[in-house]
Amino acid sequence: MATPVLDRFLSGIDNLVKSRDGAKLQDFLQIEPPLSDVYQQMVAELRQRYPEGSPAEADLLRRCEALVPRTKGSSSWTAFPTFMKQYFTFLRDVNVENLLETYDRLKGLLNQCVLALGDSQFGVIVLPTVLYLSKVLAKLAMGLDRRPDLIAQILKLEGRSDQDDNIEKVTLVEKSANVVREAFIKCLTDRSGTPGIHGKPEGKRVGIYLMANLCLKLLFQCGKLRNAEQMFASISAQSPPLKYFPASQRVTYLYYLGRYLFSNNLFYPAQIALQSAYDQCHRQALSQKRIILIYLIPCNIIMGRFPSSQLLQRPESEGLADKFLPICRLIIRGDYIAFREHLALDSPANEWFAQKGILLALRNRCEILVWRALARKVFIHGGFHGEPQAQARGPPPFLYLHKFESATRWLQSQHSQPLNGTINFASTGHSPDAQAGSNPTGSQLVHKLPDHDFAGVDEIDAPDPSLLSKFADFLSPDTYFDATGHSHPNSPGTLIETTHLLDYRQYELNPYADAKPSPMMRELEAILASLLTQGLMRGYLTHKNPRFAIPGARLRGALPTGFPNVWLTISGRESDDDHVPGWVQPPTQTIGLPGGGGGGGGRVVNLSGARPVGVQ
Amino acid sequence: MSNSTQSNDKPESQQPQQQKPPVLEEDDEFEDFPVEDWPQEETEQASGSANGTSAHLWEESWDDDDAAEDFSKQLKEELKKVEASS
Repeated sequence: MATPVLDRFLSGIDNLVKSRDGAKLQDFLQIEPPLSDVYQQMVAELRQRYPEGSPAEADLLRRCEALVPRTKGSSSWTAFPTFMKQYFTFLRDVNVENLLETYDRLKGLLNQCVLALGDSQFGVIVLPTVLYLSKVLAKLAMGLDRRPDLIAQILKLEGRSDQDDNIEKVTLVEKSANVVREAFIKCLTDRSGTPGIHGKPEGKRVGIYLMANLCLKLLFQCGKLRNAEQMFASISAQSPPLKYFPASQRVTYLYYLGRYLFSNNLFYPAQIALQSAYDQCHRQALSQKRIILIYLIPCNIIMGRFPSSQLLQRPESEGLADKFLPICRLIIRGDYIAFREHLALDSPANEWFAQKGILLALRNRCEILVWRALARKVFIHGGFHGEPQAQARGPPPFLYLHKFESATRWLQSQHSQPLNGTINFASTGHSPDAQAGSNPTGSQLVHKLPDHDFAGVDEIDAPDPSLLSKFADFLSPDTYFDATGHSHPNSPGTLIETTHLLDYRQYELNPYADAKPSPMMRELEAILASLLTQGLMRGYLTHKNPRFAIPGARLRGALPTGFPNVWLTISGRESDDDHVPGWVQPPTQTIGLPGGGGGGGGRVVNLSGARPVGVQ
Repeated sequence: MSNSTQSNDKPESQQPQQQKPPVLEEDDEFEDFPVEDWPQEETEQASGSANGTSAHLWEESWDDDDAAEDFSKQLKEELKKVEASS
């Protein structure tokens, strides 16, 4: 039983290992169908000469062991022959009709290849193969992920329970990510050459971002972003600077890093990473540029910077104006009800944003900008703008908050009248938020469903039987303690008498208790206080006779002083620290003091780490 | 054996065509780039600054001071009513 094709193949592999040609080796180790004729022939030879489970399999392993260079003193590269044998048995046995089984076999093969990658001397030879197998595995896992029906069907055939089915379904992509992460760690921790920030991409380190990007792709796919945190930390600690890697790897990495930061609400560093990904992207890579923009644009909107028409007219932005411009317009207008409706659960716009994973960030982070715009407009049309003469020592510009409250109520009334006629509020006419002003309890601004846990508590005086039976241990216990701490027995089924409990109202300590502001006013004050805390408005609030006052407005005017530019405020605050976690920069050129080491003349000395004399 | 790579090469070389606008819509996946590396001159940033004017991508000042706009007009009317009644 001659095996001419296999013989030729093995001698080819032997030469490639000797010449350390990793790229060509990967080229040889094809696994994806359709395989060319030579591979079919080799598979036939393998089946004939080394059938599954036969003692001949040991011979196959021995032949693979001959591939490994034997050097005196150093341990031979045992993981590689095992991998090669597994490669051959994979080709021989794989049944691509059964995708789940194929997945398991492929994962095993990749695992073994990653072990071979771990060798300090020869590991780097299989780096391209690890990348290739990882990509095929990722593709398969993500394909399976999109077809839960298929997985369920296969699992049923295998007799696994429904519960297993669920676990299996969610973890397939994640499992792949875990294998790829192992390869990533092997690349990152290569001890040859200079490691860390002063290093260059050499040895296995060339694979750091290739493996990281693939792993991130899988983690994003399976929604396990949290698992990426350790990766970014390891990269920060051990990777050479990103700029030394090829553009495709840089852009892909910065895209994933930006999205990771975005989903952690770190919008400013996310914006830096995504903007850089966009800038460094190949100008013809429209699909990639578009996906970057889908995250870069909301990132900027949240920080008060809207996409320009120039940006939205670019080919990669096609269709994005329809998505993002309505949000910008609603923020500018200051109509919080229309804004909330636009991104509400049942709105038509909602789905696209949800699918991209940016809905909640936009909904939660932009509403405060809408309130700022409304407050600003109310101040423009209803506020006191200061004395006409700049010299006059009058009161500072201010706004009575009851006007703000009236404006809010007016807004609610506009939205509760369908077909208002004069204004197009783009409202369906039954916005739940518009009715909030007449809520007996809870928020007067937004609609919230009553909490089920508290449903029925108002009826405790005359509880319905089901409530009584459900909470009997609380409402009618066997004994209870009175206000003085004395125990009393209670007959079964009787409610605890509570009328004799002390009335504390006479001990009111709140100085404003007499002239209570309306519940809506309290909420509006809280919103304005939040705007002031964030620096998006400047001035102060008075609680008694509620006002928003803008002191120090003589020079620049009330409006720019009280309502500073949002983007300038946020970027001014955030740009103190331009460091983006997870993005390794080349070391800053710090050199010794002039004359210290010699040759430092004319260069800039970074003294940021220097301490004044005499300070510990 | 090297001819075996042909089947693998094909999908790679088709990628650039797949990226043309008609198929832009709704692909969540960040595709692999068809090329590994490119010089600074071929980046988006370079093409932006090559047009002479540095690209104006973001609007920082968008506060609406247009009192003639419908919403503002109505708000103004409403606030006048509040003023009159208090």
